[in-house]
Amino acid sequence: MTDFLRRLLMTPQGLLGSIIVVLVLFAAVTGGWFAPHDPDAMAALARYKPPGGEYLLGTDQYGRDILSRILSGARSTVTMALLATVLGTLLGAVVGTASAYLGGRWDEFIMRTIDAVMAIPSLLLALLVVSLLGAGGANALLAVAVAFMPGMARITRAVALTVRKQDYVSAAIARGEGSGYIVLREMLPNVVAPIVVELTIRVSFAVMLFATLSFLGLGAQPPAADWGLMVSEARQYLHRSPWILIWPSAIIAVTAIGFNLLGDGLRDALNPRT
Amino acid sequence: MTENQTPVLSVRDYSLDYRVGSERLSVLKNINLTIGRGEILGLVGESGSGKSSMASAIMRYLAPNAVENAGTIHLGSTDLRSQSARQLADLRGRRISMVFQDPSTSLNPTLKLGEQLTEVLIRHQGLSRAQAWKAGEERLAHVGLKFPVEMMHRLPHEVSGGEKQRVVIATAFACNPELIIFDEPTTALDVITSRQILDLFAQLQAETGVASLYISHDLAIVARTAGRVAVLQKGEIVEEGETEPLFRAPKHPYTRALIGAVPRPERRLLKGDPPQAEPLVRVRDVSVNYGRRSLLDSLLRRDFTPVIGNRAVTLDIKPGEVLGIVGESGSGKSTLAKAMTGLNRFDGLIEFDGRPIRGLGDMDRAYRREVQIIFQHPDASLNPRQRISEILVRPLKLYGGREGVPVQRQIEEMLDRVRLPASYIDRFPHQLSGGEKQRVAIARAFLSSPRLVICDEITSALDVSVQASVIELLMDLHQQTGVAYIFITHDINLVRQIAHRIAVMYRGDLVEVVPTQAITSPDRAPYTRELVAAVTPPASLTPTA
Repeated sequence: MTDFLRRLLMTPQGLLGSIIVVLVLFAAVTGGWFAPHDPDAMAALARYKPPGGEYLLGTDQYGRDILSRILSGARSTVTMALLATVLGTLLGAVVGTASAYLGGRWDEFIMRTIDAVMAIPSLLLALLVVSLLGAGGANALLAVAVAFMPGMARITRAVALTVRKQDYVSAAIARGEGSGYIVLREMLPNVVAPIVVELTIRVSFAVMLFATLSFLGLGAQPPAADWGLMVSEARQYLHRSPWILIWPSAIIAVTAIGFNLLGDGLRDALNPRT
Repeated sequence: MTENQTPVLSVRDYSLDYRVGSERLSVLKNINLTIGRGEILGLVGESGSGKSSMASAIMRYLAPNAVENAGTIHLGSTDLRSQSARQLADLRGRRISMVFQDPSTSLNPTLKLGEQLTEVLIRHQGLSRAQAWKAGEERLAHVGLKFPVEMMHRLPHEVSGGEKQRVVIATAFACNPELIIFDEPTTALDVITSRQILDLFAQLQAETGVASLYISHDLAIVARTAGRVAVLQKGEIVEEGETEPLFRAPKHPYTRALIGAVPRPERRLLKGDPPQAEPLVRVRDVSVNYGRRSLLDSLLRRDFTPVIGNRAVTLDIKPGEVLGIVGESGSGKSTLAKAMTGLNRFDGLIEFDGRPIRGLGDMDRAYRREVQIIFQHPDASLNPRQRISEILVRPLKLYGGREGVPVQRQIEEMLDRVRLPASYIDRFPHQLSGGEKQRVAIARAFLSSPRLVICDEITSALDVSVQASVIELLMDLHQQTGVAYIFITHDINLVRQIAHRIAVMYRGDLVEVVPTQAITSPDRAPYTRELVAAVTPPASLTPTA
């Protein structure tokens, strides 16, 4: 484990990605504790303040402290993105592994269905799910998870197909093990490494997808301190005070880049031979 | 040696380490080698002894983490270690060339054979494309390929393994190099093909007088081909000398152990006569076809020809009998094993202890418990993410072990029976050596107290000495439990040591089943005779006292 961490932190992308992700996760866990102001407190006299002075990153159209809102917004945005990705990945991994294990007509059927679903752009699919179930945080989470599932299933199946040919799977079949045991205990642990890499990279997509959904008014609802929602609301005041828009946009970008770099670093660290 | 001038290859006090993390792993220690013109030096050693590192060092194709000492490698009067990358590129193929183990990976699958062969000629001899193509055809004819003109236009996947290796050899000899390194050139080939390749090698060697370094783990082959032999153990040459005296009277204990471990058909390891009883398993007209008719094919009523794995195989196995199955790769040996263990669909009937089994659905838990399979590669047959305890507990969980004995105790006892320490229970497979892993696989099979164990090439991935100990273990377990074995192998010398009867398979057909003693008799089927004749007998390795 320490050897693995050392390899991860040796590469520049792994180091930088880990630092960013740790900071973001720290903000998500501690939430608003370190926020200098109440994220929802309005101050009529301190609207549209530029960065500096009492308000480090300035204030928005209601005079709310942007830094505090970003810090407390980390909890909902990042947690939701992580949860949605993990859920989508788990579903996709099980479907992909099962498809590779079953093979033949079943594999064909599952994969062609997945191809059909993948033909729909993920944002559109998420929009569809949200508009069917209604706007809101939990539904947005489900929408993102559903949108991610087919891609993960495809990647997992590709890896699982090589695992399927290994003799330990044949040995398990020859012993008469049940399908559940073979998929979950024999195959899944051996496809985990590429899945973890893909998962970290996808978190960055999820952060952006959530931001987009909130931006379109289908995710978090005001007055929640959600990064995407903040960007959406700030749009109208772009000319008056661009900072309201720039800060949450920048933090979304940095988080996405951080997870992406971590994913790259993990890929190198998990495959020491390449 | 006919000439006394500088040898073709001379390696002096050469050492090589690999940097792994913060440690240094020593692979070659103080190697001294010389090969004169027209000489064949056999380099023998087990896996991990540094044979292939030696080849890479001579070819100057070392891994980036290699650390060398001050030793020298000279080709003629050229110091190979001081050559620039450009000079080396010019040397390789022209003055040194190499033949690799597996011809299917050493040829580029997307280039025609002719293109791959002429590339060397164009690059090093300055021939034009047309001239090189013509020369290439001659060279292919020279290595005994029947249709050289057509062969030049084929892609690697369109020809057989033996033909591919002939093309590789033709390429290696193309520019009349001074030295050719052969890295296990016949290991990936069938018995009969590898015999033909060895004959070709001997002929070309005699014609061209090239110096050769012949790397192999197979002592019988080295004894037949090489004039001089160097034995490599853990990076050190422990013994070197003329082939005959060295094999007749090996001085170093390691060489002696190595020669002692080579299977000798005369030395039977199986005690007792074949059992006289009603057969335990009757295999009746079992056929296996690969591939399935697609929906579109059946809609359009297109013809569908499946790939045949087995064609109506019929044989019996008596309780406690050891049945060897031999044949080339692709002869359907493993296909039969897979059909019997429910890994392949089959047509026909398998009768186990009187119970008829017509398909996978009939293979109930009792059948699966009584018929166990052990695979060739222990690396692949043990799940790398599971501890030995989890691997070994499965048969007990599935079929129920002995009543009243804790599971942990049963596993420890079994580990003891396969001569592994009980402390291995918490280890992962990658912490074990190849032989130890195979012992774990054997333990897993025997934990379900089977009546038939199918061993699918279980020793072919192991070194000779490890192979000998695994076979000894199998024979002991056979004595103790009276289990029946189906022993699938391509090593005919080995199977003659341990089997009651031998079944010979060829391209999906069962040629014949004969008692082991009668395998050499002249009234065997033509294919059997060909197969037995192609085996290099270890007779040249005279046993020592």
